[in-house]
Amino acid sequence: MILLRLISWQYVRQHRLRSLLTTIGIVLGVGIFVGMHAAGASVLSALSTTIDRIAGKTQLQITSGEAGFPEEVLERVQSLREVAVAAPVIEAVVRSGVEREGNLLILGVDMTGDRSLREYDLEAGDQDIVDDPLVFLAQPDSLIVTRDFAQRNGFGVASKLTMETMEGERVFTIRGIMRPGGLGAAFGGNLGVMDIYAVQKFLGRGRRFDRIDVRLKDEHSLAEGQAALSNALGPGFQVDVPAARNRQFDSLLHVYSFMVNLSSLFALLIGLFLIHNTFAIAVSQRRSEIGILRALGASRRQVLALFMTESAIIGLVGSAAGIVLGSFIAKEMAGLIGNIMQAHYGIAERAHEVRFGAGLLAASIAMGMTTSILAALLPARNAALVDPARAVQRGSNQDISRGNSRGRSAAAGMFALLAVLCVFMGHSQVVFYAGYLSFVLAALLLAPTLSVWLSCSLRPLLTAVQPFEGRIAADSLIQAPRRTSGTVAALMLSVGLVVSMGGLSRGTFESVVDWVSSFLNSDLLVLASEDGTNRSFHFPDSVTASLASIDGVSDVQRMRSNKVTVKGASVLLVAIDMSTALARTSGRVVAGNFQQMYRLGAEGKGVIISENCGLLHNLGMGNTVEVPSPSGLVRLPVVGIVTDYLNQSGTVFVDYEAVYQPFWKDPTVDMYKVYLKQGVSEQSVKQQIQTKLSRQRRMFVMLNREVKARVMSNTRQWLGLSYIQIAVAMLVAALGIANTLLVAVTDRRREFAVVRAIGAFRNQVRKSVWLEATGLAAIGVTLGVAFGAIDLLYERQIVRHDYAGLTLNYDFPVLLVFLLGVGLIVTAWISCLAAAEMAARHSMVEALEYE
Amino acid sequence: MNKTSLLPIAAMLALMPRSAPAQDARQIMIEVQNRTRSQTEYYEGSLEVINSNQKITKKRWRYDRLGTYGNSKSALRFVAPAEVKGVALLVINHPDRSSDEWMWIPAQERHRRIAMQDRSTRFFGTDFSFEDLEERDVDQYEYKLSGDDTVDDAPCWKIVSHPKDGKASQYTSSFSWVRKDRFFLVRTDNFNKDRLIRQIVYRDVESIDGIWTARTVAVLDKSRNSQTLLTLDKVKYNLPMRDADFTRENLSK
Repeated sequence: MILLRLISWQYVRQHRLRSLLTTIGIVLGVGIFVGMHAAGASVLSALSTTIDRIAGKTQLQITSGEAGFPEEVLERVQSLREVAVAAPVIEAVVRSGVEREGNLLILGVDMTGDRSLREYDLEAGDQDIVDDPLVFLAQPDSLIVTRDFAQRNGFGVASKLTMETMEGERVFTIRGIMRPGGLGAAFGGNLGVMDIYAVQKFLGRGRRFDRIDVRLKDEHSLAEGQAALSNALGPGFQVDVPAARNRQFDSLLHVYSFMVNLSSLFALLIGLFLIHNTFAIAVSQRRSEIGILRALGASRRQVLALFMTESAIIGLVGSAAGIVLGSFIAKEMAGLIGNIMQAHYGIAERAHEVRFGAGLLAASIAMGMTTSILAALLPARNAALVDPARAVQRGSNQDISRGNSRGRSAAAGMFALLAVLCVFMGHSQVVFYAGYLSFVLAALLLAPTLSVWLSCSLRPLLTAVQPFEGRIAADSLIQAPRRTSGTVAALMLSVGLVVSMGGLSRGTFESVVDWVSSFLNSDLLVLASEDGTNRSFHFPDSVTASLASIDGVSDVQRMRSNKVTVKGASVLLVAIDMSTALARTSGRVVAGNFQQMYRLGAEGKGVIISENCGLLHNLGMGNTVEVPSPSGLVRLPVVGIVTDYLNQSGTVFVDYEAVYQPFWKDPTVDMYKVYLKQGVSEQSVKQQIQTKLSRQRRMFVMLNREVKARVMSNTRQWLGLSYIQIAVAMLVAALGIANTLLVAVTDRRREFAVVRAIGAFRNQVRKSVWLEATGLAAIGVTLGVAFGAIDLLYERQIVRHDYAGLTLNYDFPVLLVFLLGVGLIVTAWISCLAAAEMAARHSMVEALEYE
Repeated sequence: MNKTSLLPIAAMLALMPRSAPAQDARQIMIEVQNRTRSQTEYYEGSLEVINSNQKITKKRWRYDRLGTYGNSKSALRFVAPAEVKGVALLVINHPDRSSDEWMWIPAQERHRRIAMQDRSTRFFGTDFSFEDLEERDVDQYEYKLSGDDTVDDAPCWKIVSHPKDGKASQYTSSFSWVRKDRFFLVRTDNFNKDRLIRQIVYRDVESIDGIWTARTVAVLDKSRNSQTLLTLDKVKYNLPMRDADFTRENLSK
């Protein structure tokens, strides 16, 4: 402690800015990790609360995919001797009709008996929460809302609320108000309860339920009840505890978690290099101080412990600050995640507050401290090896790094060789990731050597730009690799990440553009929800004939989609009119014959799957796909594989008439693709549809170009997360370069003083620092681009085999790299301002006395 | 003893109200059913629900019944107020199993079955439960005499009953008070284990078409501290009714 106070603290005080900049790397890494995980966890926690509150006393829930099942199933369940209560449920998310409130989760229940399962009013016991239950049932516009929702919006009993339904906008009457707590806490209080049969009508659900909630008789265990229900209903139904729904949503956040972990890992790696760099320089600068300590009797272990403790404290402080930063990030991200889950997966949740679990905080601090300690390990070891006698001699230098340098090069060569070997060694996951890791380690270990080579290459260029200043800058880069290598490595990683993420984004974008052109090829699309992702609303099949009868319409293709479980994973089942698709679609075939696959599909003799479905779930041509339906298990062979981006966990296409109707008995449609006759105006047909049909019902009619623009906008939004990486790269550049140059300027006081003494102007000193910063940025960008170009090859494989099953083109982001390079060089100029000024303003006399 | 001395005794015997000899409890309940048996029943009822805050809601319904105890069909149709007009309930009682109940909601244009599990819930916000609207058939319960008591100064038998195996009921036991002079049920206390759930009192009894009829039925829900008063108007028995009138399809008419 005394050493810390007398030595370490003094050093930090003298180099406040550098210490701050060093810490920021940890702050950033921990901040991203904490913020984004806390946001994700908060959304999941809110979802879990909603699920629990809605479940109430429910012990088991019966579902059959997302499409639900016919009402008749309810009686079968109620007749089982194990069942005490079985209540049907429909859940739907609708716009609340109140500007500030966003969505409302509508819970449709059978009001005659649902209170056996759900607590509508915990505080008031069994009192009515509905003014008149008979009127509530008799009037289908009846709605119960929570007290929170009512108070926020000035509603009371008998207030009116407009909501969107399949019959257009309808006015609903609030006839009951739930007190907070219990069910009233679900969905952040934005919950509405209606009679289930009224909900069926308003959402176009026909005579179907989404699920049945079950409570068993006391004498039967959960396992017994589950077995009895599964036996009675067959494999087309899932019988599970309410908490199982959390697992489904958890897996959907897997995508998001992957990106979060990658971002924070890179940020921490960058922080690691920055800290390593700073400590390496600090050991060098404090060499005589260390020598004196050793001469006075401090042991090697004490010196090691001193530096390790310093790094641990930096890690702790950085982690604490990172947690604070994370809290701001979390609040912003929670809303974004909720919107993405709703928009892309139709899952409803709002996280009103972000909570930081003790586990997450502990993990963050451990992560930050571990990174910092690891970073300082080698410099601390070097400090412990300082020879006291040589250290206190003026002008002498103990080179303890030469051996390290040779060792590093040898290790780099070994890892590079291993990476190459792994490419040829087969396709197992272990070999692939071993090769990837070897590549990254080889790159990191080679970075200092490559940095020196590039510095030598840059020397003629810098000298050509400014003969005097350029030579000083180039010599500084060449002669002090230790000072620059950490920053160069950090830049290489961050630029490389931008390049590979940019390449993936571009590849994905191009693939989506390609797919949109072939899949969304109809003249018009008629949707039940505005963006096509809200699966609460459906058209009755009767609309098909109405659309087909409109003048100018040539073909109408139905589409009905819902999530089902295939091989234990959630995939999208899409029912389409395959005979129309055969005539109209031109999709990219991966396996099978185009004509044959659609013909067989139309006859109900097979399914067509998406390429990512095949890759992720190990399905190929001829394999049998088993899909659970309310009428039993559907077993059909794969008759074709196509490229499709409807769902990132895979899509299975079946024919609407031949397969979907017989097994799901669901005469509803989500979307129509409308093809027009030659020469017919899209706008005029759109108007006809709106005039004849959309006045009586909820309907969104969009032109092809409008839909494409919407899809691409959504894709850009999702891919927009990758722009966070660019921001991280810019910040790293600023931190690293500023840090390095501050150290450089301090180290080179005598040099600058001599230069000034022989007649150089302040401006010339500034320019030399400025050119050194430019060189540093250029080296970092060059190495980063090379690293990223190779990394992109690995990332494409990860996306294909482990992440989303998508085959993406290798699309090097040329424009992005150019912009990034320019951006980083500008960032370097800005970040070197302080150091350049410091160098220019050093007192010559003081600096010459320094040595 | 000469005839002259027997005369006052005979006169006294003639003036006493007729009552069957007090046999076992089941016999008493059979007699209760017999004395109120009719082929059909019709009435128009006014319903007042008074909740724990003394708020009163009023409705009117029309009731038709065809058949006798345990083997009857009844249809209940709300006629007022306007918000609930047309809502109807069809109850088909079976002697050997639980009744079937369906509800019709005009605005939804569909029937909905009232599941067995839901029979214990309140009937449309009243203090009746769906089960209370079924008819109790004497063969579905076990009876035992519990003693004598008085209700409104009238001597009564007090009978405890338990549903037999196979009879699903929310009540584990009930106490019934039967007037000795008329074999008329004047009060029922329904329990779930030791807890009194509902008390139903039959008042303003008068003879209509030769059948003793309670013109006022009061249901008290002890746990909610609320009360429902059903007043029967225009009660008629044995009017001609058709079996076809008691179907789900006819509920909507």
